[in-house]
Amino acid sequence: MSQSYNRGTVEDFGRWREFSAGMWAWIFHKFTGWVLVGYLFTHIAVLSTSLGGAELYTNTLQGLEALLVVRFLEVGLLAVAVFHILNGVRLLMVDLGVGLEAQDKSFYASMVLTGAITVASIPTFLGGPLA
Amino acid sequence: MAEHYSSFERGGRRWLLQRLTAVFLIGVLAFHFLLLHFANHAADITFAGTQARMSQVGYFATMWLFLVTATFHGVNGVYNALVNQGIEGTQKTAVKWVLVVASLLLVAQGTRVALAMNGFL
Repeated sequence: MSQSYNRGTVEDFGRWREFSAGMWAWIFHKFTGWVLVGYLFTHIAVLSTSLGGAELYTNTLQGLEALLVVRFLEVGLLAVAVFHILNGVRLLMVDLGVGLEAQDKSFYASMVLTGAITVASIPTFLGGPLA
Repeated sequence: MAEHYSSFERGGRRWLLQRLTAVFLIGVLAFHFLLLHFANHAADITFAGTQARMSQVGYFATMWLFLVTATFHGVNGVYNALVNQGIEGTQKTAVKWVLVVASLLLVAQGTRVALAMNGFL
């Protein structure tokens, strides 16, 4: 029935080779969360050009979108967001006590699905006019 | 049964709000990405297109709620991650208030941006 495992603390990153799937899920969820919250502040900063008028807003957004590096960063952002969403659903399931015995498999499924969605999105993100 | 691991105090209000905002954000974040990268290509975005979307009350309300819930979920997550790393006492109080102020500023600025986008400002 109840079984406990002493895997040490996940905050002790130096012993990453010993980490289980759940610990990796925890680390990736934190990492993707930091990226997303950082992006949220950046996103509002960029959209603030709307306060400077229609032309400034349109030129800023289209100017950024004309850069190839921005397109690649968007693919990265999608990967981060998709993983955070899928692992977030997995966490909600864990919190509700659903499928606890398969929590490692659902982490691997989140990773595979994130990879597949990211790869499938590349043509859309890289399409359209570039500078 | 596995042991219960959580970053939160069980049954706490922040725990519940983090989950409730997560459920909302799962749908809205996916919608936001699909609409502005797949249905409309980001490279084709213009102020006129943004204004047309933001002039719809339902879209405006959804985007404003997106801003508020994402800010809460993100900043609460950051606070939580720092508490996990072991901050306490004065450090914890200072981090809390810096994050509260940052959140309020972000929501205020985001609201100004939303009002500029729908032509109110």
